[in-house]
Amino acid sequence: MRSGNRPVCSVSGGLRHLNGVVRAAVLALCVLVPLEGGAQSSPRPALAERLAVCQACHGADGNSRIAGIPSLAGQPAFFLMNQLFLMREGVRRVEAMGDLIKNFRDEELDAVARHYAALPSRASDEAVDPALAERGAALANAKRCGSCHLPNLAGQEQMPRVARQRIDYLVHAMKAFRDNQRSGADTAMSAVVYGMSDADLTALAHHAATK
Amino acid sequence: MPKRSRFTQALAATIGLATLPFAVAVAQQAPALPPGFSALDLSNPAASNQSTDLKPIPVSPLVTPVEKLPIDRIKLPAGFKAEVWSSGHPGGRTMVMGDRGTMFMGTRGIGRVYAVTNVDGKREAKVLLSGLTQPNGLVFRDGALYVLAIHRVLRFDAIEDHLDNPGTPVDLTDKFGLPPEVHHNWKYAAFGPDGKLYIQVGANCNICEINPGERGHIRRYNLDGSGMEIVARGVRNTVGFDWHPVTGELWFNDNGRDWAGNEGPSDELNRVPKDMIGANFGFPYCHANGIPDRDIRRPNPCAGVVLPAALTGPHAAGLGLLFYTGSMFPKSYANVAFIARHGSWNREARFGYDVIVARPQANGSAKLEPFLTGFLDTGKNEFYARPAYLLQMKDGSLLLSDEHSGATYRITYEPPLKTAMAK
Repeated sequence: MRSGNRPVCSVSGGLRHLNGVVRAAVLALCVLVPLEGGAQSSPRPALAERLAVCQACHGADGNSRIAGIPSLAGQPAFFLMNQLFLMREGVRRVEAMGDLIKNFRDEELDAVARHYAALPSRASDEAVDPALAERGAALANAKRCGSCHLPNLAGQEQMPRVARQRIDYLVHAMKAFRDNQRSGADTAMSAVVYGMSDADLTALAHHAATK
Repeated sequence: MPKRSRFTQALAATIGLATLPFAVAVAQQAPALPPGFSALDLSNPAASNQSTDLKPIPVSPLVTPVEKLPIDRIKLPAGFKAEVWSSGHPGGRTMVMGDRGTMFMGTRGIGRVYAVTNVDGKREAKVLLSGLTQPNGLVFRDGALYVLAIHRVLRFDAIEDHLDNPGTPVDLTDKFGLPPEVHHNWKYAAFGPDGKLYIQVGANCNICEINPGERGHIRRYNLDGSGMEIVARGVRNTVGFDWHPVTGELWFNDNGRDWAGNEGPSDELNRVPKDMIGANFGFPYCHANGIPDRDIRRPNPCAGVVLPAALTGPHAAGLGLLFYTGSMFPKSYANVAFIARHGSWNREARFGYDVIVARPQANGSAKLEPFLTGFLDTGKNEFYARPAYLLQMKDGSLLLSDEHSGATYRITYEPPLKTAMAK
């Protein structure tokens, strides 16, 4: 994080309905609000209020239990902030997200990203097929996924954690890269999955779920 | 910091205006084709003997505060100075100047075009367009801003009258017929001395066979998209070119392939000799000063290839190229080329992250020398800026964009003697 930080805590009454983990994380954010953005002339929705909307789909702890919805917990903060930014700007198009974040300021996107980056990631509740996972491991090795996503697939900087991500979401995301439907990310990802079959992408997703 | 807060307000105000119409337009035109990464790509990273941790360098979409800009690290030859000229435009790369002094900036991943203006004596960066796919190509002519975003070509007429609401552009995409694949296909475009619009199409791979009529070359067009001709072939990925002010010859940077080792093959500074329009520059068979590719082989790989005017270093990534024609710098800089080297990602010991000077020689080659340094700490293997493009101002000063911090630095010169005599 290269911008300056200042101690700011604008959350007040909005915390009571949150569980302990989330409340602790929200309070921890009080010292992490970035400086940019200038004067706070008009009242802005508190972070907790915004997070309540996120949690409806992405899970109270940031680990999604809904098909096709990605888990956000434990993702690299830069990755989350960057993707939120790209969705707000309309570079990456996700219908359900655009309206929700269109009025977010940069520092508000960043606060949401830092919140979810700090939460522990948990394995998906989907069933992992061991045979597919094994085939996926060989494919991941051949495709050098660990070069950018790290050998444990935890992700770094602009590259997401794919370990313990939902299988159905990973398949969806990799198809989008393959089929030129996902803008904004480094074009290297499209190059890697070029020409791969749905079955191979599914195997990769099962492998990632086991990491 | 008033500048930042004004930027944020401008941002908030402009997003509503600019994003939504584009969101619709881009969604409708998303190409149904596969991304086009060649299935023949023969990169063999495992054979490169390089760290497998090498990876693309991220670009932050967040504003870097002025006080965090690496201006104090800049080192220049005696008499030259650098100052922050603009900031608050994350990811800003290419620069063109409008007739009335608006500086337009293109970006890659974050999809914005900025307009940098002077308002009441203060320089402001605002988001002019957003939601585009890699709008790196910008040209300005007759009051119109042309934006090239991969294959899309959009013309915004009388743009400096409409900075608050650029409106719906004239869409020239079909007339230019550029390939829609994204990889190595973010655009650089510029007007040549012949009045034609020059545009590059990169190879859509690291190393692969290409159809030289489709990609891996520099083209030129009439302004309406007609009359396409290929000017240079066998070009892997150039994103910066300019014309020698005296000879009128086209010079261009070309970035060498990756995953063939830390030491190269070197990037190139090339010259298209007069009467050799359409010449072959070697990709994918022949690199640098005549090095055959180790993955894609054919007999006599360098036969008929125009070799570089100079080697600009391994993985250095020369982007912006500008021949200096101003009156501010010393006479020894007249008609020399400045090259902004973005800096390496595919190299264990970082390299580049600077601006060099290329001095054309009588025999058609060029001699290189350092110019702007200080952004790379070789001891720590860390960098503090990613020099991207150069723009010559009316007064002869040079602007350098730094994609890493979303800022531009203005380089000026004052003769040391003149200072002493004035006292």
